[in-house]
Amino acid sequence: MLKMQQINKIYRTELVETHALREFNLSVNEGEFVTVTGPSGSGKTTFLNIAGLLEEISQGQYFLDGVNVVGLNDKERSRLRNEKIGFIFQSFNLIPDLNLFENVDVPLRYRGFNAKERKRRIEQALEQVGLAARMKHLPAQLSGGQQQRVAIARALAGEPKFLLADEPTGNLDSLMARQVMELLKNINKQGTTIVMVTHDAALARCGQRNIQIVDGQVCDFSLYDKNPQASAFENPQTAASTTTTAASIA
Amino acid sequence: MFNYYLRLAWKSLWATPVVTLLMLIAIALGIGSAMGTLTIYHLMSADPIPEKSAQLFAVQLKSYDNKQSSWGMNDGYPLQITHQDAVNLSHSSVAVKQTPMVRTGFAVQTDNPDIAPILKSVRAANSDFFAMFNAPFAYGSAWDKNSDQQALEVTVIGAKLNQQLFGGGNNVGKILYFDQKAFRIVGILQAWQPTPQYYDVNNGAFRTGEQIFIPFALIASNKYRSWGNNNSYKNEEVNTFDEKLVSESHWIQYWVELKNPQQKNAYQAYLKNYISQQKQLGRFERDDASADLKNVTTWLTYNEVVSEDNNVLVGLSFLLLVVCLVNTVGLLLAKFLRRAPEVGVRRALGASQTQVFLQHLVEVSLLGLTGGLLGILLAQLGLWLLKNNYEQYQLLTDMDITMLLTAPVLAIGSSIIAGLYPAWKICRTQPAVYLKSQ
Repeated sequence: MLKMQQINKIYRTELVETHALREFNLSVNEGEFVTVTGPSGSGKTTFLNIAGLLEEISQGQYFLDGVNVVGLNDKERSRLRNEKIGFIFQSFNLIPDLNLFENVDVPLRYRGFNAKERKRRIEQALEQVGLAARMKHLPAQLSGGQQQRVAIARALAGEPKFLLADEPTGNLDSLMARQVMELLKNINKQGTTIVMVTHDAALARCGQRNIQIVDGQVCDFSLYDKNPQASAFENPQTAASTTTTAASIA
Repeated sequence: MFNYYLRLAWKSLWATPVVTLLMLIAIALGIGSAMGTLTIYHLMSADPIPEKSAQLFAVQLKSYDNKQSSWGMNDGYPLQITHQDAVNLSHSSVAVKQTPMVRTGFAVQTDNPDIAPILKSVRAANSDFFAMFNAPFAYGSAWDKNSDQQALEVTVIGAKLNQQLFGGGNNVGKILYFDQKAFRIVGILQAWQPTPQYYDVNNGAFRTGEQIFIPFALIASNKYRSWGNNNSYKNEEVNTFDEKLVSESHWIQYWVELKNPQQKNAYQAYLKNYISQQKQLGRFERDDASADLKNVTTWLTYNEVVSEDNNVLVGLSFLLLVVCLVNTVGLLLAKFLRRAPEVGVRRALGASQTQVFLQHLVEVSLLGLTGGLLGILLAQLGLWLLKNNYEQYQLLTDMDITMLLTAPVLAIGSSIIAGLYPAWKICRTQPAVYLKSQ
């Protein structure tokens, strides 16, 4: 689904060159749920931006669903982003002036669907996150958890193959965070590939695989061959220690 | 997508009402002032008779003596001709149509004793006048050639006077009293007001035209005095009206209609012969005595109907428009950049730079259109104030369809130009910068 080879990302100013990613290699298979962790400034966000085609790479190769994205122009990248990728952000990033229906409508407009198809998809997506009854509400009228569910509905409406989540529960309390994670797991079960960046070691265990990024490189990864996601939420401390163990074994 | 962009633009404009209002005021002020001055300029500089302007010629004769190095206009030709020349020229059969003319005036009365006499300016001309200048008749027609020759007391009146005296309708055959002389109405014009009034610019090209027309021959027989300019280069005794008629005083305008270059050549040859003949009679003493024919557009330029001040005024008002647009650019830039996080989200969700650019251009177009419409209202208000306070602007303050269509085009066009940079700037937004920080 996602294949990055020898990727370098360098930010240049007049005085400094910053290597945000350095010979970065990563493959994510279709249907996987991968979590990405790492300290602040390690390059997680840069990785996410590059994976989501929001930034271009300085060097290397990046294949998204078999398409080499290097050299694509803005229109082609936007089209690919619209069709293949769904984004979920920490701060939800809903457009405040638009109601829920219109927010979920945004990516579908750029896809060029007709009104009937858009309506069907919006209703289905909002139904999936349990907010079909509130589609005329503005984001400000919802709780944080509900807003994140709308953002998930927006990401799902285009039926992307690939979901990129950046700290999706970072602004939520634990109860709402659990609901959101349950939703993501269900989405993943239905076949959508998910890459989720998180600081939270417990959440990192929700994925089938955890990637650790340090200094712009994949320095470690942990494989979970059981199905620990549910228990990770129920007992975060145990989950955290398991991750450490798994990492050290790897 | 256009409808979608339009809906987003509508929401966006309402989301920041104060900024929107400021931008609308700036655009409306700029467009209003530009359209106001442009309307006046447009009407001033318009060809008043485009279908014939190349076939109608004002006749000028360099008839003055050698004592003057030059007299009249810069090219040495006086604007008007003498009465005796006018009478002589009107005997020519070379021109297709021709008319001497002069503005005069008198008290007008009807048979109705309830209507007080009104002092009116009058145009004395030959019957060709109406066909030459495409004056449209509502009732009746021009007087016949016999009336020209016999100086019969007949008249054609305008629609406005017909309404004023009779309440409108067909009043051909009725009698009007001009300075207590009975004149029979033979024709009534439809509403007609060439702007500028090119056939006589002596008293201002933009004043309201005469509503009464009488045969030119009546000037001599009834001794009607000129209400226009009278100029003379010669120191001569002119104590009576009859002396004036044979004097070298210039007070008559003369126009001819010549359909093609051949006719024009023939008429020029005729004028040349006329001058030679007059030289033999002791007039036209100058070696360079000659005649000139100027068509309508040349005549208007020659008389500086559109003055340099008007050009400067249009320039200044467009400068104001530019200032207003520069302000709008600043406001748009601030508004659009404030929306950068939303644009970041849209970009992440699949909007290309082009789509973001177009979305914002639609918004500035909507803003420009609304500002333009407000600008038209402002311009109309300004023109209305001019019309009601300055008589010389009476004919220059009616925005025609060209101007009404120009305003929104100018508004949208200039707003798009103003919006290009802010829209370009916002479409270059790096989405990644805002997605994390929003």
